[in-house]
Amino acid sequence: MDTGAVVNEAPGTALLRLSRRHVLGLTAAAAAGVATAHAAPATAEGSLPAGVAADEVEAEGLARTGGTARTRPSATSRTAALHLIRRATYGPTPRLVADVRSRGTSAWLERQLRPASIPDPVGSTLRSLYPEAGWSIPQVYRAVGAGRIQEYSWDVMIPLGQYTVAMATWSSRQLFEVMVEFWSNHLNVANTSDGVWDNRQDYDRRVIRGHALGRFSDMLTASASHPAMLEYLNQAESTKDAPNENYGRELLELHTVGVGAGYSEAMVVDSARIMTGHTIRWDERSRHHREFVYDPSVHWTGRVRVLNFSDRNARADGRPVAQAYLRYLAHHPSTARNIARKLAVRFVSDSPSDALVNRLAAVYLAHDTSTVPVLRALFGSAEFAASSGAKVRRPYEDLVATLRALDYRLLPGSAGATRRRSGPEALYWTASDLGQAPLAWAPPNGYPDAAAAWGSAGGLVGRWNMHQGLAGGWWPAKDRIVVPDLRAMVPRRLTTYRALIDALATRLTGEPLPDNDTATVLTFLGRSPDAHVGVKDPAVTWDLVRTVGVLLDTANHQLR
Amino acid sequence: MRHTSGCPDCTPHADPSSAGRGLSRRSFLGRTAGVAAATFVGLAAPQLTTRVAFAATPDYTGDVVVVISFRGGFDGLSAVIPLGDPGYRAARPSIAVPPSRALPTGDRFWGLHPALGPLRPWWDAGSFGAVHAVGAPDPSRSHFSAMAEMERAAPGSSLRTGWIDRALGLRPASTVFQGASVGSSVVPQAMAGPFNELGLDGIDRFTLNGIWGDTPEAEAKDGARWAAALTALHAGIPSLAGPAAAALGAIDTTRALKTAGYTPANGARYPHAVDGGPYENSPLSAALYDVARLIRAKVGLQLVCIDYGDWDMHSDLGTVDGGRFQRRLSEWSAGVAAFATDLGTAGMSNVSLVTMSEFGRRVAENGDHGTDHGHGNAMLILGGGVVGGTVHGPWPGLGAEALDDGDLAGTTDYRDVLGEVLTSRCRHSSSDLTTVFPGRGAFAPVGAFTAKA
Repeated sequence: MDTGAVVNEAPGTALLRLSRRHVLGLTAAAAAGVATAHAAPATAEGSLPAGVAADEVEAEGLARTGGTARTRPSATSRTAALHLIRRATYGPTPRLVADVRSRGTSAWLERQLRPASIPDPVGSTLRSLYPEAGWSIPQVYRAVGAGRIQEYSWDVMIPLGQYTVAMATWSSRQLFEVMVEFWSNHLNVANTSDGVWDNRQDYDRRVIRGHALGRFSDMLTASASHPAMLEYLNQAESTKDAPNENYGRELLELHTVGVGAGYSEAMVVDSARIMTGHTIRWDERSRHHREFVYDPSVHWTGRVRVLNFSDRNARADGRPVAQAYLRYLAHHPSTARNIARKLAVRFVSDSPSDALVNRLAAVYLAHDTSTVPVLRALFGSAEFAASSGAKVRRPYEDLVATLRALDYRLLPGSAGATRRRSGPEALYWTASDLGQAPLAWAPPNGYPDAAAAWGSAGGLVGRWNMHQGLAGGWWPAKDRIVVPDLRAMVPRRLTTYRALIDALATRLTGEPLPDNDTATVLTFLGRSPDAHVGVKDPAVTWDLVRTVGVLLDTANHQLR
Repeated sequence: MRHTSGCPDCTPHADPSSAGRGLSRRSFLGRTAGVAAATFVGLAAPQLTTRVAFAATPDYTGDVVVVISFRGGFDGLSAVIPLGDPGYRAARPSIAVPPSRALPTGDRFWGLHPALGPLRPWWDAGSFGAVHAVGAPDPSRSHFSAMAEMERAAPGSSLRTGWIDRALGLRPASTVFQGASVGSSVVPQAMAGPFNELGLDGIDRFTLNGIWGDTPEAEAKDGARWAAALTALHAGIPSLAGPAAAALGAIDTTRALKTAGYTPANGARYPHAVDGGPYENSPLSAALYDVARLIRAKVGLQLVCIDYGDWDMHSDLGTVDGGRFQRRLSEWSAGVAAFATDLGTAGMSNVSLVTMSEFGRRVAENGDHGTDHGHGNAMLILGGGVVGGTVHGPWPGLGAEALDDGDLAGTTDYRDVLGEVLTSRCRHSSSDLTTVFPGRGAFAPVGAFTAKA
């Protein structure tokens, strides 16, 4: 025991020996600075009916609204509700539309901002179906020891991605899941990437989910001491003798103030110097797992200056300096504007006004970097209200919205865990083929969030085919997932073709198509609007899959 | 060259006057013009389905560059072997290729792995060669960061785009096929950025699966029905109208190619395409087959990426006669030889094929008869403009003092090789390279490519 490396906030101080790999001893203390486990309490397990749909419990007792397009009671309330749903969730379902309209948009939003108050039966099921997603780092190593998974494999990372798409599809805490995606991209740690096979799920659970509706300052601090981030951006190998600037730079450029904030290259070096000491060590006393440690012996000392942050940084234990630095960055006006702009791009439009951004930034700063007040201000803004349809769904959002629109469900418990997991597994690879597997963007800047970045011809073909494939139940098929019966979407009493298209569009997207799109679809079907639908018409029988498929290619579904 | 595409402000408008299809010349990012027009005629004129030829894109007279990514860390030392360096055999007691088994190169210092045998005719003819001891600045031995940095190719800058995207962004816009990833619907990070490259899983699979039809004619008719609907449904969505038109044009093209069928020329046998062939399911070979089809059909292909991974051989790399490396390299050689045979000398005079890998392997083998992550590596180059039959680049040697932390040192910057391809073969100016590879500074000539006539 020669060199001192201290596990941050471990009970007592332990001295460790340093080396490239496999050295070190210290017990399995959880990484420091992060408090929460699952952000929202799980509800009781095992009380689920087979094949529970998205939002079923939440909207219990509310009547199905499909097929009533032309007699909707209040166009205004429906429009506002749908707009909010398209932005604050992964897409409307009939039950969700009914629920938002019955509660009112404000009350519904407030509830979503307190996700723990929302029963989440499918979410609970998924948590037990994907135990890996909830594993601590030592638990991963215990699973290796027990031969359940392989060391250095993707055995935890890939199920985490599958858990993510399943939660997005079926959790009733929809806004929470949307924010999980938002922050996962903002503080991106690519899943999969080198060196995070054992810790990425812990990062998801404690850093992202733990703070998704909390304070950004806390999330940033948690990320700065999490092995996944330290590994991903090379902070783990940064020392006073050879500072690696990768993390120190991205901390400024991507995580906080942004490239235009006016910092110099010398400040980037100082940013890296401040963070030296935050590293990862192997624990060899118990079960050979890697953990975050603070190692004063590699901390660079001496005056540092980044923007208006300055410190003598004279002590080997630089943790107080790092904490103060991270707090400074999180509360910096440029950070506030960056996060406000990103949230506005996510929820309002690809080019939100400076006025909105500045207003949200002010709310962020006035509330100690809390997310919830910013979201409240955002969803209450006039600019939000006026932005209906201004966002194009990216491939992943499109996939999840399609699953929700069609009412795909997880297989019932009787199918067994392996088969039940095979559904989300297929969905994960579908998202991957579309170019947007959840959590998987390789560079540190996260998936782009503007339509211009996703306008590839091949990508669009992939999405059209995804719509058609899911409408047809071709992949994943019914051995993996509960494939919806499209015939249930067709009104029992058939009248005209126009009414049919209205009913189907309303069932799938929450509202009828605009007149010109209705006309296009009828031309596609080769039917005239006022003719009566024949019971045996292919468009509502064997060819219904393509009627539904083309409806999913409309702006009603592709925009949000 | 000028910026003409990939800019969000250039959002096009569908033109309903074009045969009711909403497709019009230069109407969607100006990129599918030739293809859309030609394929529309193709749909209307069934005789064209047996002889597919699209108007050449007039703007571009450079080579089609095929970049094959050897993901996982290619062991260049096992492929292009420094037989004359005593350090080679000493460092690799169980996996070194014996001098007697290596293919001669005309230079006693160098030998080729026998798995490169199928390409030996091109080596001897001077159109297949290698650059050795290629390295990247700021090397990383992490797959992820090395790959990301190599494809971004802009160290020390804040750019988030890839080098191919930047190169294409400098060119006049032509067709939707201008930049493509073939064999995968997802484009690599080298293509990240504002230019919209096409992710083409496979020509025969690139279609709308809602298009049904018992005959090619029925399929074409149903395709037209879908195209009309999708064009109209996307016309009102500014950010999707252009991509939709481009996509439908590309689908028309791939359908015409599929219908026409393809017979490789010169007796070329793509291993995947032949029943019972040794690499019947080789995705690499399938991708090269598709690239050859696209080149022959003159759809406007300029820069294409193919992934060929699985090189991360930390254990049991194998011997000269078999094992992981031998199999992997043989599959590559067989596919590339078929590709070069198919296009023939004339066709290959307009093609430059280069391999890249995020890093080489350590010089010394490890305890598991494999090699760990290293640095300096070999790039394999093939094409009519290649100065082949030789190994380019200063050889740093494998002596202890010459190694870079146990690895082959990098003496040639990989950007210099790519830069030479772009300037010598693709008619880019040297000032273009400051956009494509910012921060490189002065490019050192490699001499691996001749200037295109």
